[in-house]
Amino acid sequence: MNEYAKQRRKNKIKFGIVSVISLCVFFTVWYICTAVLHLKPDYILPSPVQVVTAFIDKLTRTAPDGATIFGHIGASLQVALSGYVLGAIVGIPLGIAMAWFRRVDMFVTPLFDLIRPVPTIAWIPLMILWFGIGLGAKAAIIFVSAFVPCVINSYAGIKQTKPVHLWVAQTFGASRREMLFTVAIPTALPLIFTGLRISLGTAWMTLCAAEMLASNKGLGYMIQVNRSLARADLIVVAMLTVGLIGTIFTVGLNSLEKRFVKGGRRG
Amino acid sequence: MKKKMDVEKMTYAVLAIASFFVFWWLITTFTPAKETTPGPIEVIQLLIDSFVTPIGNYVITGHLLVSLRRVLVGFSVATILGIILGIAMGTSKWAEAIFKPIFELLRPIPPIAWISLVILFFGIGESSKYILCGIGAFTNVTLNAYTGAQNVDPELIGCARMLGTSERSIFFRVILPSCTPQIFAGMQVALSTSWMAVLAAEMVGAQEGCGWMIQRGSDTLNITLVMVGMIVIGCVGMLLAAVMRVIERRLCSWNIMDN
Repeated sequence: MNEYAKQRRKNKIKFGIVSVISLCVFFTVWYICTAVLHLKPDYILPSPVQVVTAFIDKLTRTAPDGATIFGHIGASLQVALSGYVLGAIVGIPLGIAMAWFRRVDMFVTPLFDLIRPVPTIAWIPLMILWFGIGLGAKAAIIFVSAFVPCVINSYAGIKQTKPVHLWVAQTFGASRREMLFTVAIPTALPLIFTGLRISLGTAWMTLCAAEMLASNKGLGYMIQVNRSLARADLIVVAMLTVGLIGTIFTVGLNSLEKRFVKGGRRG
Repeated sequence: MKKKMDVEKMTYAVLAIASFFVFWWLITTFTPAKETTPGPIEVIQLLIDSFVTPIGNYVITGHLLVSLRRVLVGFSVATILGIILGIAMGTSKWAEAIFKPIFELLRPIPPIAWISLVILFFGIGESSKYILCGIGAFTNVTLNAYTGAQNVDPELIGCARMLGTSERSIFFRVILPSCTPQIFAGMQVALSTSWMAVLAAEMVGAQEGCGWMIQRGSDTLNITLVMVGMIVIGCVGMLLAAVMRVIERRLCSWNIMDN
């Protein structure tokens, strides 16, 4: 057994080194293609060095797109979070209600199925025409993108409650209310969190699209405007920032899930 | 009993959808909202009309076919590449060590964030749309093929090996079939992401396609056109998902019966 563990540790180190080498090769190839061979002009494919200097530069300088990187991040976060939180607050209870009350289910589900297949990006023009290009429209778009997965997942979560568990609760004299709050909702919690995670992903993606089409600040705007300015280095900076913030959100949600969800698949 | 419930369900569904349209009609006829929002009748009229009167260069079916072609080309190529990469990462430690860090670095960037870079690289022609749809599909398929290949029951592989199966047939007859359901789950998500990506790409820079259509509606303050576009886009999205489900049922029937 000891021998086996040793072998495994050795493997881990070996493949860790391979991973590091692979990343180094990736960046070296990128560097050679751009800074040494100049396969594409700088304004189309920047070298990694240019990206890093652009990032450092962007920490303090507002030119050429009107805000520092923190300004853009702040604007994006404000929009994303306001829409996302609202979508979760409305979506989760609605999903639970749809699954728990038969009449609500029969009435709301057809309506929900009517709007569900429309991708959130297709809502952008409509929302802009209704709410203008301010915070309202973008928050409304994010709201739609977060709302749909939240409803679907909390609905599925409540529906998967085992009838036996409900019967046990009933036998011991639980009221409908108690059954919902002590049996059904805890059962649904892992799926509700899945919904929150999915909707965070779509919300963050929709945000980019919304800011590209109508905005004057934010990471999506940064990606869009630097294309017309032919500043590919800043586009890459914005893309990496978008990816990084998305990752931070996912990690945060996962730790929240670990704290709240008891039992279940993730344990 | 079952039949009675179905009837009740149908009644509620019809009631819900009817009340939705009546509500929409009332709002757009009797409140100030009529200034900005068209009623259901106008939208349906334009929808029917758009099959014969061209919007921009094509009638509505033309736009649809253009968008669908972009999605399907990007999606198919990306799916094949994604399955290969995902299974390679899931079965070989070397492939995992080499490709996973790069994949993890690029994965969190949403496909839509690639638009600007792809346009700078490939121009606003067809190839940039194919690539954007491809990026949208690639990450989902790869991730699912990867976890699927990783979670193949080691007992099955050991069993096959013990009975003298060659490594080649272990791969084709054990590993590949057991990660197929997971790959299909990934493809299902990937297809809808591609559909979304093509809309975004067309909204940012194109002369035709569904995304262009709603963006044009927005630019010319024509909400009726936007709504028609949304209806068509929603229907096609639903159709694509349904087709995927049918294919899945064919290919993974053993798995579905299991559940």
